[in-house]
Amino acid sequence: MSTLGERHTVYQQAQASPEFAQLRHRLRRFVFPMSAVFLVWYLVYVLLASYAPEFMATKVAGNVNIGLVIGLLQFVSTFVITTVYVRFANREIDPAAERIRHGVEGPA
Amino acid sequence: MSTTAVAAVTAILLVAVASTVIGAVGHRARRTSDFLVASRSVGPLTNGGAISGEYLSAASFLGVAGLVLRDGVDALWYPVGYTAGYLSLLLFIAAPLRRSGAYTVPDFAELRLRSRGLRLLCSVFVLVIGWFYLLPQLQGAGLTVAVVTGLDPWIGSLAAGVIVIATVAFGGMRSVTIVQAFQYWLKLTALALPAIVAVIFFFGSGHTFDRPAPPQFADRTTVDVGTDVELTGRTDTAVTVGPAGAVVDGVPVAPGTAQTWPAGSVHRVATGGELVFEAGADVPVPVGRPALDDRWLTPMAGDGDHQLLATYSLLLATLLGTMGLPHVLGRFYSNPDGRAARRSAVVVLALLGVFYLLVTLLGALSRFYTPQLLVSGQTDAAVLLLPTAVLGSGAAGAVLGGIVAAGAWAAFLATSSGLLVSLAGVLSSDILPGRAVADMRVRALKSATVLAGIVPVALATFVTQLDFAETVALAFAVAASTFCPLLVLGVWWRGLTAKGAIWGMVAGGALSVGAVSASLAGVAPDGVVGVLLARPAIVSVPAAFLTMIVVSLVTRRTRPANTDALLLRLHAPERLGLFRDRVERDDEPVDRPS
Repeated sequence: MSTLGERHTVYQQAQASPEFAQLRHRLRRFVFPMSAVFLVWYLVYVLLASYAPEFMATKVAGNVNIGLVIGLLQFVSTFVITTVYVRFANREIDPAAERIRHGVEGPA
Repeated sequence: MSTTAVAAVTAILLVAVASTVIGAVGHRARRTSDFLVASRSVGPLTNGGAISGEYLSAASFLGVAGLVLRDGVDALWYPVGYTAGYLSLLLFIAAPLRRSGAYTVPDFAELRLRSRGLRLLCSVFVLVIGWFYLLPQLQGAGLTVAVVTGLDPWIGSLAAGVIVIATVAFGGMRSVTIVQAFQYWLKLTALALPAIVAVIFFFGSGHTFDRPAPPQFADRTTVDVGTDVELTGRTDTAVTVGPAGAVVDGVPVAPGTAQTWPAGSVHRVATGGELVFEAGADVPVPVGRPALDDRWLTPMAGDGDHQLLATYSLLLATLLGTMGLPHVLGRFYSNPDGRAARRSAVVVLALLGVFYLLVTLLGALSRFYTPQLLVSGQTDAAVLLLPTAVLGSGAAGAVLGGIVAAGAWAAFLATSSGLLVSLAGVLSSDILPGRAVADMRVRALKSATVLAGIVPVALATFVTQLDFAETVALAFAVAASTFCPLLVLGVWWRGLTAKGAIWGMVAGGALSVGAVSASLAGVAPDGVVGVLLARPAIVSVPAAFLTMIVVSLVTRRTRPANTDALLLRLHAPERLGLFRDRVERDDEPVDRPS
């Protein structure tokens, strides 16, 4: 398995490259703020529910009130964030990784 | 047996047979990697269906609707948490873990921290979490059988156990993937049909929940109390004790006795009691739950103590626990590449969302159609009883009831078989002897499957039955207190050491397992302690993270030497084309150009 040794060197080459550093940076800059946004969104709902019950009980239509609408929106927001993340990964991360790979190995 | 029972039993049998046949015909497991990750040959849509099918368990199918019936908007936290937990799994650890090539937590722990002791500890927690999770699945199967046939719940639990063990032992996971995708669509159909019918009837009835009154019995109703329950009403309630008698407030009451419960008084009714309510009577509700329909529609409307604490703790458990569930992680490996894995994730989130919306809707409608479950304590049966409550017990109600029962059955089969695959893998590779030779290992997996299944089946027959969604949340809490810190710190922090990981998991595990055991044993003091025993995550998760970090800092000299290279491998996008995971390395030439 000489390949393992070679592979190791390639790791280090890739790690040293500025493209790779930038790639990691970009990924982190996306993942962490996004997680913060979605956490805050959930926590705000709980806070509203306990401290602004009147607001949450505001009627929208028939049996539906604002609390219910925001509650159901939590599903929507989870889905939206996932979609945004997947788009981001396909658009930004994959092409950048491709470029690094070409740099390291030559065109495949 | 009634028409409903015949229809339901037929439908359940059909699901069981179909699952077993698809499983057996689908593939004969030959190699270990075939058995575990379906050789990665599954497309995003099928895989997304399978992930959802596996994830949506009895707790989701029955339990969530039951909680909505009882708690109203507050119950939304469970499905929101279950869904969002999947998102945090995707954002934080899915891709790095996939790149590591470790498809179980013990594999990852050993790869990352080079410690056999840690690996063994992880294996033990996989079993603990898996068994906590299997327990409500089997109890749910038992309840389904009990509700539709009147047989004892343990018969259903036992049958579910045998079928699941057989499917997994003989088919392996490739077959299970197809079976689970099939089961997702079956579950969705089983919810959508009654939801459509019930919505049409509901709007036809002109009823609204937007009124300051409790739910009412539509007809004269006899309620068999299924679990000890404390009831209270907003109005004076006239109750007649049924032919079976009842023990009310610790005093046996003779059949036929009429009682009036004054408004606001609390009455404890023991299991097995029979109460009769007249048509139009207000339905008493369990103590602490929203009694009036308009309160039920608003968040945090119950009278329970420390609701904010309880909600945050629940959220934490579900948000962080999903990534530590044994059967969820392995699923990412059955995608051919990272791109497909991400596409599967979007499919999964959409499928989960649709499913939970339907469950919530059914739970809400059951407050109108089956309010007697609030008295009997068996709110988990709401979805199962809704069809006959809406359509009556004629042919239409029987058929629809049968479909729902089949869907509930599919929910247990899907989750339980996925869990069993994971548990069997861990048992055979870490705990049972005879793991060295490849041929031996497939055989070892089969015996491990049987062993992994027997324990929860035995447990299911005598453990206190909580609401399913709550029991499952306990499994989430243990996962969030043990595997979540290990995975998150292992992937994102180079400072983690094996000792730190071990002590952190022991701390989080001891706190959460202790609390869970107390809850399952039925020990529930009032006040903050009671809330924390039922929802331990808000204490146990920070404790685990903190212990892990502090001990790692103290023992930082023992950091594995290859940490930097390993973390690079975890974080370098796989389309670099440099890294092959271990599964393929075992089966294929490493240097195949990609």
